Amino acid sequence: MVTTPVSEGPATPGTRRVLSLPATAARSVRKSAASTPGRLFLIGVSLVVLALLTGVVGAIAMQEKQSTIDSLIDHREPVAAASQQIYRSLSDADATAASAFLAGGTIPPALRDRYDMDIATAGANLAKASADVSGDPEAERQVNELAQQLPVYTGLVETARAYNRQGFPAGAAYLREASGLMRAKLLPAAQELYEIDSARLTAAQDAATSVPWVALGLVVVLLGALVVAQMYLTRRTNRLLNVGMMVATGAVVVALLWGSVALLLESSRVSNGREHGTGQVEVIVQARIVALKMRANETLTLVARGDGGEYEDEFQNLSEQITGDGSNNLITRARGLAAGQETTDLLAAAQKNVDDWLAAHKKIRELDDGGAYGDAVSLAISPDAKTSAANMFTQLDDNLLKALREARQQFADDTSGASNAMTGLTPGVGVLALLAAAGVTMGIRDRLQEYR
Amino acid sequence: MRAVRTSLVFVVLLFAVTACAGGGRPVDLANVTSVPGPSPVGVEENPSQSATSTAPAPPCDPMASFRPPASMPTPGQMPDGSTMRAIQDTGKLIAGVDQNTFLFGFRNPTTGSLEGFDIDRVHEIAAAIFGDPNKVQFKVVTSNNRIDALEKGEVHVVVRTFTANCARWQQINFSNTYYVAGQRLLVDRQSNVTSLDQLGGKKVCAAKGSTSIKTITEHQAKPIPVQVDNWSDCLIMLQQGQVVAVSTDDTILAGMVAQDPNVKMVGDRFTQEPYGIGIPKANVDMVRFVNGVLAQSIADGKWRDSYDKWLGRTGEQAPAPPAPVYLPE
Repeated sequence: MVTTPVSEGPATPGTRRVLSLPATAARSVRKSAASTPGRLFLIGVSLVVLALLTGVVGAIAMQEKQSTIDSLIDHREPVAAASQQIYRSLSDADATAASAFLAGGTIPPALRDRYDMDIATAGANLAKASADVSGDPEAERQVNELAQQLPVYTGLVETARAYNRQGFPAGAAYLREASGLMRAKLLPAAQELYEIDSARLTAAQDAATSVPWVALGLVVVLLGALVVAQMYLTRRTNRLLNVGMMVATGAVVVALLWGSVALLLESSRVSNGREHGTGQVEVIVQARIVALKMRANETLTLVARGDGGEYEDEFQNLSEQITGDGSNNLITRARGLAAGQETTDLLAAAQKNVDDWLAAHKKIRELDDGGAYGDAVSLAISPDAKTSAANMFTQLDDNLLKALREARQQFADDTSGASNAMTGLTPGVGVLALLAAAGVTMGIRDRLQEYR
Repeated sequence: MRAVRTSLVFVVLLFAVTACAGGGRPVDLANVTSVPGPSPVGVEENPSQSATSTAPAPPCDPMASFRPPASMPTPGQMPDGSTMRAIQDTGKLIAGVDQNTFLFGFRNPTTGSLEGFDIDRVHEIAAAIFGDPNKVQFKVVTSNNRIDALEKGEVHVVVRTFTANCARWQQINFSNTYYVAGQRLLVDRQSNVTSLDQLGGKKVCAAKGSTSIKTITEHQAKPIPVQVDNWSDCLIMLQQGQVVAVSTDDTILAGMVAQDPNVKMVGDRFTQEPYGIGIPKANVDMVRFVNGVLAQSIADGKWRDSYDKWLGRTGEQAPAPPAPVYLPE
């Protein structure tokens, strides 16, 4: 059947036919809409298309949500943890190098191992963190800075060691330079990287708890269309019920309810994991960073031997962030976010460590200012004395680390719970959409047959 | 036949076009063009003049100090009301020293204790006050903070390669000269520089607040002064190739040569730096007392032993101890 007028021209008849298809279609639609069976046919086709479209969009939305949640556990959170580990290791390496210098003579094996471990940990985590920065120029800049300066830092420390072994004060100068590099370049870059990764984690959590408006809108429109179509059918055919259409409506209602419940569950679990998991991790990490900075300042004050006033001032300023009852106290804040008794206990123990450490620090300052430098040094770095600042700091760091692990576990539990809540939703939405389409086809075909 | 040829031409053309258009380029994932070298904390290049220059001082003889008392008090029994008595009552002598200048005041990394020619002087003063050379609290001061620490009363004495000059005499007192040094140049072993005149526009290092940095800044050849907190920072800047020379007292430079045989001291002394012990302006009795201690140390050979122990290892000929010059009373 050729519906288009044929005219002379370079185009072949086939091409013309193709080009005129939309017009042909529009004309035939208009023609069929004029009669009831034609209208029924159109309604059926539209509903089927809408149902299939809703199914595809819904399934994709659910799939995206699922993969966002899974990447929270497999990727985003581990990367944030890796970058905080970089900061922690570097800062600890700096404080350890200073302690080893204070100890004098050859480096005590425990301190040497600790330093080596810190550098190795920082390097390994840096490699992991750097695999993730493409597409974020700011994060890439920090990773570059770290990757370029870390070998320089270790080189300076080794030069310092060589001079120290020979008994020359040039060793102290290299160590000062190394520490300056650490504090001026490496640590700020590591902190910045952690903040970026932490913000990316939060953004991914936001995405995981957001409402899929497009898919939801389509489902509501589909449901409305089904109801309107059934009212039209009832009016035209005087039959109250149409089994096919009821099945379709039922499938859509099930999809809507299932999806809503699953998404509500999912988003509440992700939010929970954020508040008691990563949110708490962030506060504990801050507390840990503060403690590390304080420890470095404590040892550097002693290294400076009377010329370290600014280190001590910084120590005192920082200590306000992990002491007292106010909301400024990071440890108190972390306790407020704790989900379990175990974490609460760990943080209480950490708070006690802080108080003991500050008491030891006060004594160190009294000894040093009173001229007993040797006693001050040994109270600061000796691992043997139970009340030494070194032991108090190590215990504090351990307790914070354990609390950190608990909080990460909390995050992992909640978030994998969120992932479980989504189980089967993606194929389910697809199948229900197909069911709705099949119901519509059946219901409309039944009515159309009555017109034969 | 014709169709075949046409399609052949077409295929060849297609290849040619894709070959030209497909301009793939090797991709460099990381492009590092320069990396800033590490530098000592607090280093400043070309510091502003106000930081190094001071108001002209009235002419004086910087080596002249107060005459010691006729008889020195017995250790542990300082005269009532004297500065020494006050120190004796606190139980320790607080001395401003250096911990980074090899041979004069440095921290021995093996033992962690402070040692050197200056440190020996401190122990002698403590022995004279308490009868115990170890009743000392060392407080590290930078070159820049020496006068401040004395004026604020944070330390009783400063023994830290401290050149007595007329400008400083305005603010504090100095003991008799216990050593005379002179400014020279330290360069890499390969270098053929022998004087500051050859270093116009080149970077030369010295410590903040020292007389040496002033000399470099005011030199007619206009070298670029680079100032640091500690003398050993100058050595590592020279080792790292960030300055071409270090210029300061030959004694300090000798300490650097002792640490690194790849640097050498060149040229003649072009200044004279009489080292004195810094004491607060008000404590003239303390100055007299310290001068007495110095005279005693020279007389009984302790000065000489200390010289041989520290400065003897540089191989320089041991000079005669500086003869004391006293202010007219």
